[in-house]
Amino acid sequence: MGGYIVKRLVSAVPVLLGITIIVFLIMSLIPGDPATAILGSYATPENVEKLNRDLGLDKPMVQRYFIWLGNMLTGDFGRSFSLNRPVLDEVSERFNATLVLAGTAFVLCSLLGILAGVISAARQYGLADKAITFVVLIGISVPSFFLGMMMILLFAVNLRWLPVSGMYAIYGGGDLPDLINHLIMPALALAAVATGVIARLSRSAMLEVLRQDFIRTARAKGVPERRVIMGHALRAAMVSIIPILGIQAGFVLSGAVYIEIVFQWPGVGRMLVDAILKRDLLLVQGGVVFVAACYVLFNISVDVAQSLLDPRIKT
Amino acid sequence: MSTFFKLLFRNRLAAMGAVVLSVILILVLITPLLPLQNPDITATADRFQKPFADGHLLGTDHLGRDLLSRLLHGTRLSLAVGISAALIAATIGSAIGIIAGYFGGRTDNIIMRGVDMLMAFPYILLALAIVAALGPGLMNALIAVAAVNVPFFARNIRGITVGLAGREFIDAARLAGMGHTRIILTELLPNVLPVIIIAMSTTIGWMILETAGLSFLGLGSQPPQADLGSMLGEARSAMISHPHTSVVPGIMIFLIVMSINLLGDGIRDALDPRLRSGALSRPRATTLVERTGDVPEATDDLLAIQDLETQFHVNKRIYRAVGGVSLSVKPGECLGVIGESGSGKSVTALSVMGLVASPPGVITAGAVRFRGEDLIDAPYESLRQKRGDRVAYIFQDPLSTLHPLYRVGQQLAEAIQSHHKISKAEARERAIQLLEDVRIPNAESRVDNFPHEMSGGMRQRVGIAMALANEPNVIIADEPTTALDVTVQAQILSLLDDLRRDRGLAIVFITHDFGVVAQLCDRVAVVYAGRVVEEGPTGAVLDAPAHPYTKRLIACVPELGGGRRMLSAIPGLPPVVDDLPPGCAFAPRCDKAQEKCRHIDISLAGTGDRSVRCLYPEELV
Amino acid sequence: MTILSWTRRGLLAAVGAVLIAGGMFASATAQTPPGVLIVGQIAEPKSLDPAAVTAVNDFRILVNVYEGLTRYKSGTLEVEPALATSWSISDDGTEYTLKLRSGVNFHDGTPFNAEAVKFNFDRMLNEKHPYHDTGPFPLSFFFSAVKSTDVVDDMTVKFTLNAPYAPFLSNLAYPTGLIVSPAAVAASGKEFGRNPVGTGPFKFGEWRSNEAVVVERNDGYWGEAAGSQAVVFRPITDANTRVAEMLAGGIDLMVEVPPTSLGQFSGDGFSIAEQAGPHVWFLILNAKEGPFADKRVRQAANYAINKEAIVNDVLEGTATVAAGPTPPAFAWAYNESLDPYPYDPEKAKALIAEAGASGAELKFYVTEGGSGMLDPVPMGTAIQADLEAVGFDVKIETYEWNTFLGEVNPGLEGKADMAEMAWMTNDPDTLPYLALRSEAWPDKGGFNSGYYANAEVDKLLEAARTATDQNERAKLYREMQTIVQEDAPWVFVANWKQNAVTNDRVKNFGLEPSFLLHLQGVVKD
Repeated sequence: MGGYIVKRLVSAVPVLLGITIIVFLIMSLIPGDPATAILGSYATPENVEKLNRDLGLDKPMVQRYFIWLGNMLTGDFGRSFSLNRPVLDEVSERFNATLVLAGTAFVLCSLLGILAGVISAARQYGLADKAITFVVLIGISVPSFFLGMMMILLFAVNLRWLPVSGMYAIYGGGDLPDLINHLIMPALALAAVATGVIARLSRSAMLEVLRQDFIRTARAKGVPERRVIMGHALRAAMVSIIPILGIQAGFVLSGAVYIEIVFQWPGVGRMLVDAILKRDLLLVQGGVVFVAACYVLFNISVDVAQSLLDPRIKT
Repeated sequence: MSTFFKLLFRNRLAAMGAVVLSVILILVLITPLLPLQNPDITATADRFQKPFADGHLLGTDHLGRDLLSRLLHGTRLSLAVGISAALIAATIGSAIGIIAGYFGGRTDNIIMRGVDMLMAFPYILLALAIVAALGPGLMNALIAVAAVNVPFFARNIRGITVGLAGREFIDAARLAGMGHTRIILTELLPNVLPVIIIAMSTTIGWMILETAGLSFLGLGSQPPQADLGSMLGEARSAMISHPHTSVVPGIMIFLIVMSINLLGDGIRDALDPRLRSGALSRPRATTLVERTGDVPEATDDLLAIQDLETQFHVNKRIYRAVGGVSLSVKPGECLGVIGESGSGKSVTALSVMGLVASPPGVITAGAVRFRGEDLIDAPYESLRQKRGDRVAYIFQDPLSTLHPLYRVGQQLAEAIQSHHKISKAEARERAIQLLEDVRIPNAESRVDNFPHEMSGGMRQRVGIAMALANEPNVIIADEPTTALDVTVQAQILSLLDDLRRDRGLAIVFITHDFGVVAQLCDRVAVVYAGRVVEEGPTGAVLDAPAHPYTKRLIACVPELGGGRRMLSAIPGLPPVVDDLPPGCAFAPRCDKAQEKCRHIDISLAGTGDRSVRCLYPEELV
Repeated sequence: MTILSWTRRGLLAAVGAVLIAGGMFASATAQTPPGVLIVGQIAEPKSLDPAAVTAVNDFRILVNVYEGLTRYKSGTLEVEPALATSWSISDDGTEYTLKLRSGVNFHDGTPFNAEAVKFNFDRMLNEKHPYHDTGPFPLSFFFSAVKSTDVVDDMTVKFTLNAPYAPFLSNLAYPTGLIVSPAAVAASGKEFGRNPVGTGPFKFGEWRSNEAVVVERNDGYWGEAAGSQAVVFRPITDANTRVAEMLAGGIDLMVEVPPTSLGQFSGDGFSIAEQAGPHVWFLILNAKEGPFADKRVRQAANYAINKEAIVNDVLEGTATVAAGPTPPAFAWAYNESLDPYPYDPEKAKALIAEAGASGAELKFYVTEGGSGMLDPVPMGTAIQADLEAVGFDVKIETYEWNTFLGEVNPGLEGKADMAEMAWMTNDPDTLPYLALRSEAWPDKGGFNSGYYANAEVDKLLEAARTATDQNERAKLYREMQTIVQEDAPWVFVANWKQNAVTNDRVKNFGLEPSFLLHLQGVVKD
């Protein structure tokens, strides 16, 4: 197992290296430059040129890439000019917020999605199945930002049950209940789509498994039905559900961008959108590398989880 | 094709999706012909009119433009964008996937690493960066949305292609000297196409959502042009004060995406061959019982199957798999049930404990009595308590009947713990003991094996051990040796025989092999087309078969274990049980059949312990 | 552990979390504490170093933490003493000697004196200054006229200009001229922008990235102490969410209320503040090539666009129609006799026909947002519809603000016929001087992206800049406005009335024409 993990980690290195190249290339191709963004309304071509020189953007692209990569390997991600602070500080701070949001949403969508899928499959064509199918369809058919805004309108503005936005109460908050309070709406809005997708796929995976001979065996030995479904069937279905979770984790992470904007969550997605618009090259590059590395690591752990669950997979 | 539509529309949700989508499509297609106002003409004084205002059915937006007109024009555009983006992504993605999957090796490796990279890049940021690089506009948003979806198609299609590329028909095409392009286009593509289409149908909705998302971020169609996403984006600032301007496009997006998803699901299901056979429905915990008629009286047998009728209801067809079977066993007795594949012998066996998959299975008549208690209408819990505890099963294919992800010890322990409260350690002890009982060497270490780590014979021993776990009174063995090779089969049979003698078990042994019956069983019942056609002590039946079918079966067995191969020696095929002839079901294949045989319902008749269902039996019984 | 049990436990945990949250609903709606004013900002500040920022959004925080040598008198754009108590100007207009206020300390305890002033201006203007690398200082050109800053004595400082420059005192009041603590710059270096130290009524508390900037009452303030114990600036970039927070009571004060949401705050519990400021929203017309090279077509565009509808309907009355290049907020320099171009599509059509420009294709750059741009997309869309109505064929291209500036500032030649633009300035000199002179064409380092050129205007602007007498300057500016309106290098669209909403717990709040947000006197119950 240890060897397997090391092997997977090693194979992730070229992927991450490729990502650094892609993000660097894309950022170089985007028209507009950081100097214009810094100078705002007062960006004359002359000022822009001078500032670009100050920022070291007049060097050839390849050279800039290797300088960036070299610095990054020594732990120096550079300085964000739009935020006027080290990229690593900003990214790691914002990344934590995103992890809290996306992590909660991911746990929510996994639990709710699988549960909905299991119930739906166990009660196929029954009332519960139809109700779940319907709710799930709403979840995957409404843009998440729209859902989020509707939730704010209903639960925060009209009913005043939950805070509108932010991660902590602005004064006197900061503890766990406060965080949960702020987390409920964005996490649910973010989880909606993925819950729907996971529920649908879990349902078919469960239906597939429930037809298998070993389910009949379990029933024949008198295993209680609840355990047949939640134990035998679900465990086998997890083999095909786990890769879906891996993919959905990517969608949740990406979808967090919208939710972070709507709910003013101080996360990395919103930061990256701003950074792209402001042409904050180093911030975008650093942030994307961070997010991508996290995604790659997560996928490796998904594969490891898969191999732990399914002994037939050779590690 | 017509079956496809029939199946599609039998799914009411899919039908609903199809109807909603077609209404939207028709509306959108005739939009230019409708007497609508110009969607781009502003009248700022008339802004934010509520729905049903004069001259504006859905009201107006922030610039006083007619929402209905913008909605229809916007839907037109959004659908066009969604569909083209899905097409582009599907084409490019599938091409990449097929190439990677077909060529494999280094090509595959390099392409898939590239795909991995793109997938690790948060897709919204990728889309955003692409739009930022290309400049604004719906066309560029389309390209961005298509581009970020390429990796998903590529990965999906590659997986399927890899599976196909190793198949015989591709090898054959290669041997026939076809070029790569030709193989891909004529051999691979047709097989992958349905998957692509299904993936695409579910992607269109997603594409529309994503373009809406890009418009939310301010990257989409250029004003004044309307698309659903930009309508939603423009209405956002008035969301609290004038919600209708965002609700209108919001609902349209919802309707489109929902109907596409419903329809997509419907298409997927309808194209799936398994659904046609009902194989994608979930089996209930017990077989459905819809008993009509009287329930037979109790007997003093240990286990008695009485006039049992089990049917399969598939769509409108009814397959009478078991058509009134009566069997019984006493303690220590071994009853063989023999018949061809599809004769209903397995269904009879599974009906005993309500294990026939349902849907489609339904028990429609008769009774199954264990010590006089009717199991057919027993409540689930009482049935469950007897399953595996009093009546246990051994199934045919031990690889598929053991759970692949649990250790065999766990599976054995579970069989015990489902009925007895014992500790984990005790259960493990007992599991090892059971493995030793079925003569598995090194039981101590084997107990922690997964099924795939054992040989076929070993696995079947585990299956038997599991059946023995709670020292049941009856074991129903459903072709337990069919999947095994001859020597292992002999070992298993002798094991079963020993156990029966040692423990006083009653065994119902289902097989199609007279050799096996001869070796193990006291009595034998011959089943054909869901009915018992002959029954009697094994020796008597073997020596003097009364039914022509039995005689033919026996004639097929030259020696122990050769059964499977020989059954084809009977000319003709067993009847399809949804269309049974009124008379003797064997008549069409019987060379002694008379006209009368085909019309009269023949009863099982005989004396003593022998009986036969034949007007012209080989032997009088 | 079996899957059953962990599924069940997970569910329990989820249900538990929801229940806990349910129990806390009460706390969720608890009001913000008294004495702490929570301000909804439109964005995260870039930096709290006044020399390093350009956005009004950042200025709103800065003016509460720092002070300049001069400041705008409340309710006007006139200059009054602040950290400088008095000043004298040499007769040739090139030497400004300022007496500094004594007994003022920075929040870090170091004294404010002439050395500190010199440090501030040298840091910005002298590339060899040891702390010049704490920049870049994008607006340092506000003081590009300064040749040297000299310490006369501990409490007197002298600026020597390379030429007479009338707006100098006004520029000192602009946020770029706010005075920072030299000791703090030395201590924090590049991080000074996150650890600001000034002399203002509030001192910096903390900056939680993307959550809040907190400033606290400066008890050692030389003037009247601030009315609030603390002010929290929350960046809420999404206008909709900002409105929702205001409605839900999460913030006490919000600026730049989206026009369509103003109606939400008309009831009890909220009050709306409005204040016209020196802002012009206009369309740059490409006078170098294409249809707008013809003055008649430029005038036609001014007639064709229904500005009343834009300011009253699209902007819900949060702006007034602009008559010329100078906003009325510069009352002393504004030409009262000018009337805006009326909405007259017939006249526009006639002019277009006369110029032979019927059916001309126009490319129109529209931005998606940006400083002072109000609601650029709906406004652009309405303008597009009006121009279509008089027979133009207008194609909009929208750009995000930074890209937009990157496209517009280098000039529209070869790219577009018209572009949206808006400026907020502190002196009537700034905008026309930077964007209407022929010496200010993009290739010469200015912002005249439409290539307007009129020798008379050039002359008037140069004269107004060097004149030291305000009445003289006013006359020159009024004359300039008449000519520019007639020449129509722009379509003059709107002058913004900035707005803000406060809830009923906030007292003594008012907006300033300078667009700055002075919160010193504001009290919250």
